[in-house]
Amino acid sequence: MMERGKISGLQMAILLYPTIIATAILLVPAISGKFAEQDMWLSPIWASLAGFLTVYIALLLHNHYPELTIMQYSGKIIGFIPGKIVGLGLLFYLLHTNGVVLREYGEFVVGNFLPSTPIIVITGSMAFVCALSVRGGLEVMARSAQIFIPVFMTLFLVIILLLFPELRPANIFPVMDDGITPSIKGAIVPSQWFTEFFLIIFMLPYLRTKEKRMTWGMLSVVAVMITLVITNLFSLLLFGDITSKFTYPVMSAARYIDVADFLQHVESIVMAIWVVGVFIKVSVFYYAIVIGTAQWLHLSDYRPIVFPIGLLLIIFSTWVAASLQELSHFLSTVWPFYALVFQLVLPVLLLLVAMMRKKAAENDN
Amino acid sequence: MIWRNRRKKGKTGKQKALKPSKQEQDTLFKHITENEDQLRMIYQDCSDVIFHAFTIGGNHQALLLYIDGLSNTEEIDDSVLSPLMTATESDQEQQVDTLIKNKVAVTDTKEVHTFSDCVQAISAGKPVILADKSSTGLSLGLSKWEKRAVESPEAEKVVRGPREGFVETLSVNTSMLRRRIRSPKLKIQSIEVGRYTKTSVMITYVEGLADNTLIEEVTTRLNRIDIDGVLESGVIEEFIEDDPYSPFPQVLATERPDIVTSSLLEGRVTILVDGTPFSLVVPITLYSLLQSNEDYYRRFLMSTATRWLRYLFLVIALLLPSLYVALLTYHQEMIPTSLLISMAASREQVPFPALVEVLLMEVTFEALREAGVRLPKQVGSAVSIVGALVIGEAAVSAGIVSAPMVIVVAITGIASFTIPRYSTAFAIRMLRFPMILLAATLGLLGIMLGVITIIVHLATLRSFGVPYLSPMAPMHFYEMKDTMIRAPWWKLNKRPRLTGKYNKYRQSSGQKPDPIRGEE
Repeated sequence: MMERGKISGLQMAILLYPTIIATAILLVPAISGKFAEQDMWLSPIWASLAGFLTVYIALLLHNHYPELTIMQYSGKIIGFIPGKIVGLGLLFYLLHTNGVVLREYGEFVVGNFLPSTPIIVITGSMAFVCALSVRGGLEVMARSAQIFIPVFMTLFLVIILLLFPELRPANIFPVMDDGITPSIKGAIVPSQWFTEFFLIIFMLPYLRTKEKRMTWGMLSVVAVMITLVITNLFSLLLFGDITSKFTYPVMSAARYIDVADFLQHVESIVMAIWVVGVFIKVSVFYYAIVIGTAQWLHLSDYRPIVFPIGLLLIIFSTWVAASLQELSHFLSTVWPFYALVFQLVLPVLLLLVAMMRKKAAENDN
Repeated sequence: MIWRNRRKKGKTGKQKALKPSKQEQDTLFKHITENEDQLRMIYQDCSDVIFHAFTIGGNHQALLLYIDGLSNTEEIDDSVLSPLMTATESDQEQQVDTLIKNKVAVTDTKEVHTFSDCVQAISAGKPVILADKSSTGLSLGLSKWEKRAVESPEAEKVVRGPREGFVETLSVNTSMLRRRIRSPKLKIQSIEVGRYTKTSVMITYVEGLADNTLIEEVTTRLNRIDIDGVLESGVIEEFIEDDPYSPFPQVLATERPDIVTSSLLEGRVTILVDGTPFSLVVPITLYSLLQSNEDYYRRFLMSTATRWLRYLFLVIALLLPSLYVALLTYHQEMIPTSLLISMAASREQVPFPALVEVLLMEVTFEALREAGVRLPKQVGSAVSIVGALVIGEAAVSAGIVSAPMVIVVAITGIASFTIPRYSTAFAIRMLRFPMILLAATLGLLGIMLGVITIIVHLATLRSFGVPYLSPMAPMHFYEMKDTMIRAPWWKLNKRPRLTGKYNKYRQSSGQKPDPIRGEE
């Protein structure tokens, strides 16, 4: 067994929650707002359907091969060579996406807080910290997430409470003026964040108890949905139509906080908290890459390849795009389809083949 | 070749030291003169070993051996020498061994057959009697040496709670535990550590509460130690830790018997070491290091509030100086304008950037603290006056540091002393310096990265198999009762899960005091 640690269902949910939220909370309000306007708070609800579907498919696949991850059972389902090819593609996708996430983080920090710091310092330091936690294994990642997430959620709630005086409830009307279509359009890109729940595939074999894994997976999706609905709703009530004009509406919202002329300009604190979320997100992707690579190459231990892959990760974060503009263009055009293929279509196809194989085997008997 | 020979030599040397030399293993001779010669050779140039030759009842030759200052000489005279020397004719009929046994009025006697047993008994302060025509000696439990009186522990003071602390003598310490836990389930196993010091180390646990694998693990880790001598339990601590490179202590060192007692009752194992008042408790968690024994003696509401105060000041002790640097260097906008103006005004004269200022002051503070620990009482006041000048008004008026800086350093210093365990406070204080450097290079982001690294490290740590951050991560809601808050005693019905799972319940439930129930 490569991974010796075992995690609980709650720990899995706690790891998955920031994996989705960390970048979604920054970017989703603007994207949903662009298409759905005043109905943007409904979009995460539609988008979450993709999340439920992904988790359900991952669990069905997992039921076929309870001890294995996708890297191992893809070979069993579609044959050795095709399985390896699919595995390689998946690894490349994960590495690429993680590079994108790391770059988004770097661009955000450099653009908003440390304008004269080279971006490689920001991404490199984050990759190093993530490498430390990945090296510790799934158990260590889950435990650090358990320490951070309560703090993360508490501060999220505090910020929301502090924003209450600034809200204009009238911004929400008219609800569903053009029917349901705009809010569904606003859900298309965000649904790709929900398909990131596909990473559950890499955690399921290492759960301590097999009961309730469905519950915890689904609860995690629900938690993400609620958080995004709240985020979108507050952006809408605060900014109204102009939400989509901001790159990072939540960060701009934090600038509105002003309590008794004392507690103000808290966006640095928001950034600091958000860094924790990014840390978990990058770590979870990173872990999937490392354990996937180790399984793809049939290594006996994944620890030796953690730091080399970290280096690759930093390089990918530099290579994915030349500038922030190019990056956001990539994110809004190519990436949704790219992600859909690997995070939803691929598991669905694997599941279909696996089911057909099982049927065929039953018929043979 | 030379290298190879040397290595071989080193190996044999090691084996020699490990095993007692062949001469000592020889069984005792029949003739007293041979025995005496052999023992005199073993104790060559040991002027404190007393060889007292005498005759039993004027007939049998005998020899009494003991080390001056380790044995009770009055008792030897009264209950050993005088009955034996005045043995009458009728006694002479008996064998000399039985005669000695019948005449000597000492409770703890033991037969010795070999020279190594002899040496062991004598080193432990037990006099040995050897008689002619007998290859069996008798060791007498008459050890007695100067002991320090039981005093209140200096490093762990309490307002309410027992005032006695452990001392350097092992038997006194075990008696203190035995007085607190009178059940025979309290087990005290003894082993010897140290090639030369032969220090006795006691593994203490309560049978049925402590995990058997834990006891085995402690025993194997202790047996693995092969060193010249154990000077203090800190030496043992470094040999049995899970992660030797961590700045955080993974063993609780305490000189308070009440802390040891409560740990034993939670299913933990305690290691008592001869020659030091500090005993080691394993396994521990970070939260148990942040708790004071007094938390359990005070009213629970106050204890909960104190605990939260301690958690808050833990964060302050770790982060306040680095937050100051980060805010002044990168995030000035977060400081309210009026405060920023006054801070800028006080920093105007200071020639250093915030980082240098903070490092200067923090290092000075650490130096003062270190000097204060070792200070002779007579010069104490002098240093504290100088210290107050260095970190205080004079430094500010000289324009070397700013006034807010002095406040920051002072609060940080106080904060680090609110942590009840000295070793934990030390770890936090040392980690402050890398945090300051991170804050100076990356601002709040650097602080966050530092905090993440520390948490990841804490999440990897284990103390004898128990996760260091439990019960927060992995999370056990029931045990939050004794970490996030201090629930009243009648609510703490279960032992901590990871150490006391064999015997879950420590008291019966439903003991909440209620005046109505009293009237029934």
